[in-house]
Amino acid sequence: MSFIHPLALLGLAAAAIPALLHLLQRRIPPELDFPAVRYLSAAERESARRLKLRHLLLLILRTALIVAIVFAAARPLVSLRKAGASGGAHEPTAVVVILDNSPSSSAVVDGGVMLDRLRAAAQSSVRHTTSADRVWLMLCDGVLRGGTREALLATIDSTRAGWQRLDLVQAVERAARLVNAQPSPGREVHLLSDLQATAVASGRADVPRGVRVLALAPGHAVANRGIAAVTVSEGAAVIELSGSTAGDGSTPQPVPVTIRIGGGGGRRGGEIMARGLATPGSDRAGTGGGVGGGASRATVTVSLPAQSLAPGWWVGEAALEPDELRADDRRPFAWRVSPPARVMATAGAGAFVAAALDVLRDGRRVSDGRDVVISGADGPSGNRAIIQPPADPALIGQANRALAARGVPWRWNQLGTPGVVASPELAFIDGAAVARRYRLEGGSEDVLATVNGEPWLVRSGSVVLLGSRLDTAWTALPAAPGFVPFVDALVNRIVVGETQVATHEGAPRVEFQTRGADTIGATVFGPDARESDLTPATASRAIAALGGGDRVALLSADRFAAERFSGARRVDASWMLLVLALLLAAAELGVATRTR
Amino acid sequence: MAQRLDLLDPAEVARLGGIEIVAEGVVEGFLAGVHRSPFRGFSVEFTEHRAYQPGDELRYLDWRILGRSDRLFVKQFEEETNLRSMILVDASRSMAWHGTPERLTKRAYADRLAAALALILLRQRDATGLVTFDEQVRQVIPARVKAGQWTRIVRGLLDTPDGQGTAAHAALQRLTALLTRRGMVVLISDLLFDRDLVLAALRYLRHRGHQVIVFHLMDPAEVQLTGPPEVRFRDPESTVSVVVRPRELARAYADTVRREIAAWRKACRRHGIAYHHVQTDMPFGMALRLLS
Repeated sequence: MSFIHPLALLGLAAAAIPALLHLLQRRIPPELDFPAVRYLSAAERESARRLKLRHLLLLILRTALIVAIVFAAARPLVSLRKAGASGGAHEPTAVVVILDNSPSSSAVVDGGVMLDRLRAAAQSSVRHTTSADRVWLMLCDGVLRGGTREALLATIDSTRAGWQRLDLVQAVERAARLVNAQPSPGREVHLLSDLQATAVASGRADVPRGVRVLALAPGHAVANRGIAAVTVSEGAAVIELSGSTAGDGSTPQPVPVTIRIGGGGGRRGGEIMARGLATPGSDRAGTGGGVGGGASRATVTVSLPAQSLAPGWWVGEAALEPDELRADDRRPFAWRVSPPARVMATAGAGAFVAAALDVLRDGRRVSDGRDVVISGADGPSGNRAIIQPPADPALIGQANRALAARGVPWRWNQLGTPGVVASPELAFIDGAAVARRYRLEGGSEDVLATVNGEPWLVRSGSVVLLGSRLDTAWTALPAAPGFVPFVDALVNRIVVGETQVATHEGAPRVEFQTRGADTIGATVFGPDARESDLTPATASRAIAALGGGDRVALLSADRFAAERFSGARRVDASWMLLVLALLLAAAELGVATRTR
Repeated sequence: MAQRLDLLDPAEVARLGGIEIVAEGVVEGFLAGVHRSPFRGFSVEFTEHRAYQPGDELRYLDWRILGRSDRLFVKQFEEETNLRSMILVDASRSMAWHGTPERLTKRAYADRLAAALALILLRQRDATGLVTFDEQVRQVIPARVKAGQWTRIVRGLLDTPDGQGTAAHAALQRLTALLTRRGMVVLISDLLFDRDLVLAALRYLRHRGHQVIVFHLMDPAEVQLTGPPEVRFRDPESTVSVVVRPRELARAYADTVRREIAAWRKACRRHGIAYHHVQTDMPFGMALRLLS
């Protein structure tokens, strides 16, 4: 309870007046002669108990009367928690309306677009704010927008489904921190989201005490399929599908996938189409905490006519048949078709390298030439060199001097401890055992693989250094299936310094990075794959993730409207106190009159 | 048209002069309003008949002889002009009190009532005496009928100062010794003393053949409690005091007074004692008429 005029509470001191008057009046009564004192004494003896009770009752009534009047003058505001009491004023409130317009909000659920419902609820929240409230709007971009109510309503009205994923845990935490920093008596976060299970999977929001998080209750699971990623390598496109099942027990049906390369939107004329069929599998344990259905995943590989593709950058698009969520039904992809590297291996490169190059040469992945030289520290030559350490430790010093002369900051040092290769970029060598190696030291950038946390494969400009020789006496890699792809990557990609194709959230498109006249990389934009999983979070999971049961309320639309601002909704209770004061005055009058 | 003093407000009447003037005025008015004395025939006994003579009062005619023999005889009574009356006036300190200065004190009212009563009795040739008392008997004027008796009674009233306490039963016991011959005893008092003790004395007088009349005198302020919001009331005859809020206690007090009067009335009636409650704002004539 708070007061509009709290200073009026100082008047509570007046509540002592009846008691003081009572005491002061009793202190010095006038003295009069009265012969019939014996009658008085008898009357008082008979009435003493009744009079004491009446005195006490009068004292209580008068004190309560003053207290009621003082409280009424202070204009108390009392909370109204009653459901459905959406009318009435509320105390100044700081509120952040989170309108989750992430890609999943464009899904069609129960015949309507989810975003339309969320937008209507957001507009209603903002409309119910008053001039004394402070309001912010957060969309899926995570930006907190302040402004007038009209401006925010206009923003909400023009909001369309975005391409960015909104982590609800982080969003709620940021919003809660913001409103908590405001001096307003009421602090609320209105979360209007489809509450995907994947959006609340990143821990638990730290919501300060006193901040209420009101969210629309999650709906039911909706079946959906989306293209999570497309990667092209070795003449095939690997298409990863993700999505969710409806949870009705039906068996997921095979999904036709179409790939278009080039065409009108491509960089080259002509269009190449390919089709595949993916069979989604259920992954209920994948997301966890979902309602009803569950995540589904599938992968399909579609062969590309790599032989007919000229060297250079290619752009394609994978597409699914339309379903409830259109935003994830198409995803572009890009890759570079490179001409085979012209490679020469020196005698010190070793037999395994030579064998691998033969395989690659047969597969037209490399050709003879001196563009790339693979050596065993027996003297780098050529613009691009892949250098193994010398087998003889006595030659390390000479090899290091040669590197230094070429301007390479790395050098081989003492022998390191055995271990396994760790390389996020080169998955085919990840985990390969290394029995013998030199520690690579001196540089700090372009570490491509490590052993025991120490650099093992590094790049410096057009020179690639290995910590071990590519020999089974040093590492098990030459005997592993990934060795040929590794050598392929070394000569065709790594030593060339070609940038990987990056992915980023955004409207589906491909952007190329150029350096001078050369295209050195590409970024493929598309929605986050987790947006395809339309499985809503369970109520318990959502409450736990968004701040806990004492701060979070998941409500139906009607309840949401009723509870909104109820934490700060107040009613001026002075009229009730005035009625109470009147009743007390009437009671006092009655008791006092009867006493007389 | 001259006003009858016996029906006026006692305080206004008292302002006309001293006790004698007031009493005479009251009695004149009182007797003018009645056709015969209300005190006739008290304690008198029939002795013989005699022939009627013009001038005899018709009320003494023996109607039965007239009916039987058609002759007029009047009844002769022993001591028919010699009723002995003693008026007892309470002169205790509580009697010297009035609720407002505009009213007579109970003592002043009692004096005037006693003087008027004595004058009436003496005019009808009844021997009348006076006793004033508080803790002890202050004045004793034996009952006489001779000339100057009323003046002595008035003098006795005037010479009796306001007393201190009240020990009525002791004074009344002494009076019983003084009143050897049967007669009428009129007690004028506020009766603020122990009822049982006083009743014992009055009962004794009654037992001795006296006709006993009690005027219970009260100021109106003693009947209806009023005063400041809170006040300490002190008994003028003792150190007893009590703090009360008159407004709160008024109803209970009125009930107590009503019960007290009823108790006196009931006790007196049980013992053949005439009891009259008189407030000091009652006209003297009305008080005297209570005796008729």
